[in-house]
Amino acid sequence: MRFISVALAVAGKDLRSEWRGRELLPALAQFIILAVVIANFAFDLDLTTGPRLSPGILWLVLVFAGLVAFGRTFAAEREQASLEAMLLTPAGPTAVFAGKALAAAALLAVCELVLLPAMAVFLGSPLSPLVFATVLLATVGMAALGCLFAALAAQTRARELLLPVLAMPLWIPFVVVGGRAVQASMTGAPLNLQPLAVLLDFDVLFVVVASLAARFVLDE
Amino acid sequence: MTPAVRAHGLVQRFGERIALGPLDLVLNSGERIAVLGGNGAGKTSLLRLLATAARPAAGRLELFGLDAARQRDRLRARLGYVGHQPGLHPALTVRETLELFATLHGMGKEGVGEQLEVVGLGRLAGQRVDRLSRGQQQRLALARAVLHDPELLVLDEPDASLDAEGRGLLGQLVRGRTLVMATHDRALARELCGRGLLLHGGRDAGDPWALRLMEA
Repeated sequence: MRFISVALAVAGKDLRSEWRGRELLPALAQFIILAVVIANFAFDLDLTTGPRLSPGILWLVLVFAGLVAFGRTFAAEREQASLEAMLLTPAGPTAVFAGKALAAAALLAVCELVLLPAMAVFLGSPLSPLVFATVLLATVGMAALGCLFAALAAQTRARELLLPVLAMPLWIPFVVVGGRAVQASMTGAPLNLQPLAVLLDFDVLFVVVASLAARFVLDE
Repeated sequence: MTPAVRAHGLVQRFGERIALGPLDLVLNSGERIAVLGGNGAGKTSLLRLLATAARPAAGRLELFGLDAARQRDRLRARLGYVGHQPGLHPALTVRETLELFATLHGMGKEGVGEQLEVVGLGRLAGQRVDRLSRGQQQRLALARAVLHDPELLVLDEPDASLDAEGRGLLGQLVRGRTLVMATHDRALARELCGRGLLLHGGRDAGDPWALRLMEA
């Protein structure tokens, strides 16, 4: 119970800070729309190629938006020493980490609410509840891993380089499984919920691993 | 009676450079010690070890009889720390800051308003932290450090940016607690502390000098 109240308080603090500062979301929304527009011109999409290439564009944009969103999760707080102030309480690093990952996942979910309609408008990508569910499930695991590596990278000088190098290889399973599920949905293949179950398994695995590792990454 | 602080052969190093130690220190409950010394003397390194913000490279540190390296979570409920930077979240309001830390300490939020009045920030409760002056931010950092009524207070140059009233407040906040305070202000050290520890090159340069300073 204490763990949940701490995690929610930390997540609420991060979301409130973003709402008041409006530093990340407007820039990410711009990035997403520009990336989709550029993809539209670069691939010269039509009604036939659109549904086939859209999943790839979706995951590429999502991966890069995630790197920006997660990269900022810990960096500023480390510089201001406000992260240390939270870690020096009895709340425990795992609860603080969970709160920050929750807020980062929520921010990425908001980005997805911009990305998916933008893809429908500019690329003519067919959207379905399965596409939304796939992307949201992938967000959970990606956020857990992304925040863990962001916490690690924030302790180094080359954090902008280190985060992609650490996070992207471990995000590949989400891109492979999520990409296939989205492609099947967009090309009108019969409904198959197995990829969602696999994504859920990944989520559980990576959330547990990240939570266990967070103590060692943060509390040093 | 178990001392509040017992350090034996305490060493902190950054790469090859020894920042502190080896240092021995015993501080009884309720004692207040001023850590003195020039820049790079090892004051902040010592304070960060005492606040459990860092782990020693060698030696043993016990706080209230507990191993500071292994029982950090238990100790943190009994410690209050203000470092070089106030460590505040700029987009939160003054009240939200203390409410967040009340939750992190597993406390109710009822005491927050009273605490703000004590540090003279009651009328600024709804003000965002990044719109406060540096002195007001320091008061908020002090309020956060004593919110959970810690037994041991570790303060790194707490008088930074504080006005005369703020310095008076400092005396009020440390009353009844064990205090380890780094400062360059000899008058403040004399006023708040009964002991001195002079550091030079990371080592204890001898109490007699520090005592003379206190008596001067």
